Amino acid sequence: MATMTPGRGLIAWRRNRSLIGGLLPAASLLSLFFVAPAIWAIYTSFTNRALVGLDARHPRHVGWANYERLLHSPAFKTVLINSLVFVVGSAVIGQFLLGLALALLLDHGEHRGYRATPFVYGSVLLAWVNPTVIAGFLWVAMFDFYYGSLNKTLELFGLSGVSWLGKAPMLSLIIVNTWRGAAFVMIIFQGALRTIPSQIYEAARMDGASAWQRFWDHTLPNLRQVAAVVLLSVTISTFGAFLLILTLTNGGPGTKTEVIALYAYHAAFQSRQIGYGSAIAAVMLGLNLIFAAIYLRVSSPKI
Amino acid sequence: MSAVAEQQTRVPSPTAGASAAPVQQQTVNRRRPEQGSRQEWIVVHVLYLIIVIFFFAPFLWLLTAAFDGDAVAYIRWPAQPTFANFTYVYQNFHIGRALANSLFISTATMLLSVVLVSLAAYSLSRLEFGLKSVVTYGVLVLQTMPLSATMVPIYGLARDLHLRNTYLGLILVHSAIEMPFLIWLMKGFFDTIPRYLEEAAWLDGRSKFRAWWEVVMPVARPGIVVIAGFAFLNAWSEVLMVIILVDDPGKSTVPLAFYQTFRSNGGYNEVNYGLVAAVGVIYVLPVIALFFSLRKMMVRGLMSTSRGL
Repeated sequence: MATMTPGRGLIAWRRNRSLIGGLLPAASLLSLFFVAPAIWAIYTSFTNRALVGLDARHPRHVGWANYERLLHSPAFKTVLINSLVFVVGSAVIGQFLLGLALALLLDHGEHRGYRATPFVYGSVLLAWVNPTVIAGFLWVAMFDFYYGSLNKTLELFGLSGVSWLGKAPMLSLIIVNTWRGAAFVMIIFQGALRTIPSQIYEAARMDGASAWQRFWDHTLPNLRQVAAVVLLSVTISTFGAFLLILTLTNGGPGTKTEVIALYAYHAAFQSRQIGYGSAIAAVMLGLNLIFAAIYLRVSSPKI
Repeated sequence: MSAVAEQQTRVPSPTAGASAAPVQQQTVNRRRPEQGSRQEWIVVHVLYLIIVIFFFAPFLWLLTAAFDGDAVAYIRWPAQPTFANFTYVYQNFHIGRALANSLFISTATMLLSVVLVSLAAYSLSRLEFGLKSVVTYGVLVLQTMPLSATMVPIYGLARDLHLRNTYLGLILVHSAIEMPFLIWLMKGFFDTIPRYLEEAAWLDGRSKFRAWWEVVMPVARPGIVVIAGFAFLNAWSEVLMVIILVDDPGKSTVPLAFYQTFRSNGGYNEVNYGLVAAVGVIYVLPVIALFFSLRKMMVRGLMSTSRGL
């Protein structure tokens, strides 16, 4: 509101007062479960607080000990590398590329009027709406070495079965996470494809541009900004995701699939060291704020 | 985000009938259908088949295994389709109790979310002063916060506040973790509703609250349905918070029941796929039914944002 008449200004002020009141209930709930936990985690990360026992009731301050232990632990390097492989493999390559390809293919099929398109669309969505633990369970069965559908299919073609979760655990996780997450990327890209005005294509066709040229010159450039936001968004969510890994491999075999998010969970609820777990959570919060800063820069919402 | 956010103008708003609608319609129009070649039809449908097999095969297995008295890890039609798995889990795993708990918690979460989210999103949409951008950026940052970073502190906090093993604790936590996303979504809906609507209501002498409740909210109904759907679905599906907040069997929910059945009967130890699949079907069917009955609205709502789930 650049030009405000005095009366309008008065209305705006009165309105703002009650509007801030409208924000308060949600703001207090969010403070309780987002802001307070962040402060709690940072405070607790400087103590030796435990899940049970004496250190649970009377935690002592230990300074930077938890952080030093984390930095010097060989596990830290492993979990960072695992997280990187998992994010690049399943978010950047898997979900993003497959989701983009699905959006383009289904948009094309819809445009051609193929009747099967809604069913294909529905099956992709189905994989996405199911709860994470269901996805984990379904793929435990799919990957089963002796009786799983995957190895049974390989046998049909005369090939020998693969010990998916034993020999290629990270690849298996990447397949499952791609299976789950491709739909989200597809939905967002579909929305973006629909905003490209049809006149652009009509004009290009009249100029004699081939289908490939129309795609390269008009479709891709129009998707670029959405692509940046989607890419960051799936990176952030994959970085923090660990429930799927918990249900499929629980970080194993050994520490081959232990990502940083799972490491924080194990430290707190398996080793029962809440202080150490909080230090890992605090490091994740920090990394996440960096991601969020990049995200805000790229998306630069018009507020 | 802005390119995606522009999509929000496509959200149906009954008021946009007169002036804005024709312009929007034009950009939404699909390209004129164009006949493809026979080879193209074959290539596309082969790809379709591969996609459907990859995405649907695991569900086909879940359905067949749940009705198989002697379920195996591969997909096969049950020799004698039976409800035995369902009766067994109903009698032995307290599924009835878990269903009632889940239904209550998800419904309460949905109601609480709808009230808090619509109040906050309307305020964010209509506020006009400096603090607004700070608050809106704050909501966006919270939206990117993964559960894994807040899980340990939420556990500690819930324990200190005696919210573990209570309905209230689960309802509050479930409402809170999905709220940044829903506020962001709902703000988009309110942004499309013209302000002169409520301004006219004020001139008629209605209070701010009544103008919002009686004039703005009915117009925002499509948005409300979408956030109610997402709030319910999330509360019904979410398992991580239940795992850390509940260890009293009386407060168990469907996700927790599934997780425990899976741990004891399906994961690493003795495998009884049929039982786990039966609990899985009970868990996943309401999700699928609700999502696909609201599919068009929910997908359209999602297109208007760009947040990872």
